[in-house]
Amino acid sequence: MKTLVIARRELRAAVNSPIAIIVAVAYLVFTSAWLFFRNQFFARNEASLEIYFQIIPVVFVFLIPALTMRSWAEEKRMGTLEVLLTLPFRESQVVMGKFWGAFGLLAAVVVLSIPLPVTLSRLGAFDPGQIIGQYIGVLLIGAAGCAVGLFVSSLCKNQVAAYILSGLTLLTVTLLGSLGQLLSLSGWFSRVLTFISFMPHYESWNRGIIDTRDALYFLLVTALFLYLNARALVARKSA
Amino acid sequence: MIEALNLSKRYGSLEAVRDVSFTVASGEIVGLLGPNGAGKTTIMKILTCSLFPTRGTARIDGHDVLDDPLAVKECLGYLPENAPLYTDLTVHEYLDFIADARGLAGTAKKSALERVTDECGLSPVFHRGIEELSKGYRQRTGLAQALIHDPRILILDEPTTGLDPHQIVEIRELILRLGKEKSVILSSHILQEVEATCQRVFILNEGRIVAQGTREEMERGMRGEVLLDVTMKTSRGSPVDIKTLESSVGVEKLVSFTTDSRGMIVMRLSLTPNAGGEEAVFDWAVAAGMKIVSMVPQRLSLEDIFLSLTKTGAPQ
Repeated sequence: MKTLVIARRELRAAVNSPIAIIVAVAYLVFTSAWLFFRNQFFARNEASLEIYFQIIPVVFVFLIPALTMRSWAEEKRMGTLEVLLTLPFRESQVVMGKFWGAFGLLAAVVVLSIPLPVTLSRLGAFDPGQIIGQYIGVLLIGAAGCAVGLFVSSLCKNQVAAYILSGLTLLTVTLLGSLGQLLSLSGWFSRVLTFISFMPHYESWNRGIIDTRDALYFLLVTALFLYLNARALVARKSA
Repeated sequence: MIEALNLSKRYGSLEAVRDVSFTVASGEIVGLLGPNGAGKTTIMKILTCSLFPTRGTARIDGHDVLDDPLAVKECLGYLPENAPLYTDLTVHEYLDFIADARGLAGTAKKSALERVTDECGLSPVFHRGIEELSKGYRQRTGLAQALIHDPRILILDEPTTGLDPHQIVEIRELILRLGKEKSVILSSHILQEVEATCQRVFILNEGRIVAQGTREEMERGMRGEVLLDVTMKTSRGSPVDIKTLESSVGVEKLVSFTTDSRGMIVMRLSLTPNAGGEEAVFDWAVAAGMKIVSMVPQRLSLEDIFLSLTKTGAPQ
């Protein structure tokens, strides 16, 4: 209930500012352009959206920081955090409210893209199960990304710094797995890189494999960063 | 009821607050007065649970800020310095959010919104974006935020900064009205502010309370000493006999003695009140062959107390 109050304020503020619309338009234009122009969806003649979903984590690297950069950094800069922290909330409730605000907006943008698979489904034998799995994967990686972005923002006092830092962090964790292959590393180090990276866990959802470990991975990453975020808020008090 | 019990706060090597204790009863308005950096805001942040004290604790309405922050936050309203607000919302949206956060709903919420809009004079800007508001309206929106749940404790950090004289009078009247049944702490570095609203004043310097008292006590303190500024013309070269002056009836001591650009002697004397010191000074000047150009009595004001106490290295 109390988290909803905060989430609603976040959404209101985002809708009153141009950020929500910019993020939505950028997401839809970029992903569609990727599918139809860069990858010649129709010329491929495949009833699969794997190409489309492949690029979404990369788009998130740029868009999630735009949604989360303000959340704490701007509150600190404006001083509104002083008021927010004297409202009768626990730190965890404030953090969860911020999370649902950012993730809610991201989820709304993703929902706006649903007409695309619905329209294309008339053209061939798409696997509806796989598409549902792909959307679940998108929401899971999006939730983890929002948690990371919020945490980075809680360490920053400037939203541009928050944007760049969380963008770099997301880029690293998203592509860390490919680094092992790129440097042709082998052994445990490569396996560790693959394990902590977002992409390998997302790819199984994209291929239509439902593995609870991959769901658990994203949920744990989300929970970990939200917890760290709440700790950062408490630590601020003893500064 | 606000109780601060031996509060100390240290930022790294800087001791922002040192062993501060006080109580504020309900129906009392207390002013924290001090230069910038004296620790006023830090004390307020500790009282509102936004900062942990390094040592000591505070109780708000019996709830400890360290053990039960949620209960503390429920019974207090806080206006931080410069009234920070969400500029991407309208006044209505903002107060609506605060009301929700304070757990107000239905008719209670509606009447609370109407009450604060009325009290703080916000109806002309109720549907305007906060971004376009003047400093005065922002300050009042911040105050409305602190008042919406009718808290028993009010903590106001420099509530009248940025307001015009007319608005200052309005806000003071509002604070005085609220102070009848609530415990109010307000901070200021403006002396008139504190004199006009507070029953009791704490003067802070470098994190310590260096003086405290009711306004009456402060005024009595002011009357304890009368300062007299004397400007005299003297014949060139003749020595001035300070010893005789200082031993005159009613004269306590010579505070300062200088010669100005015109060659006049300008001195400040400390006199015992109502002991005829002024006459003694006049007689002394005449006897020494000097002409008094002006004699201006200076009452020791709250300002003087404040300035002498808050100079670095002031006596404890």
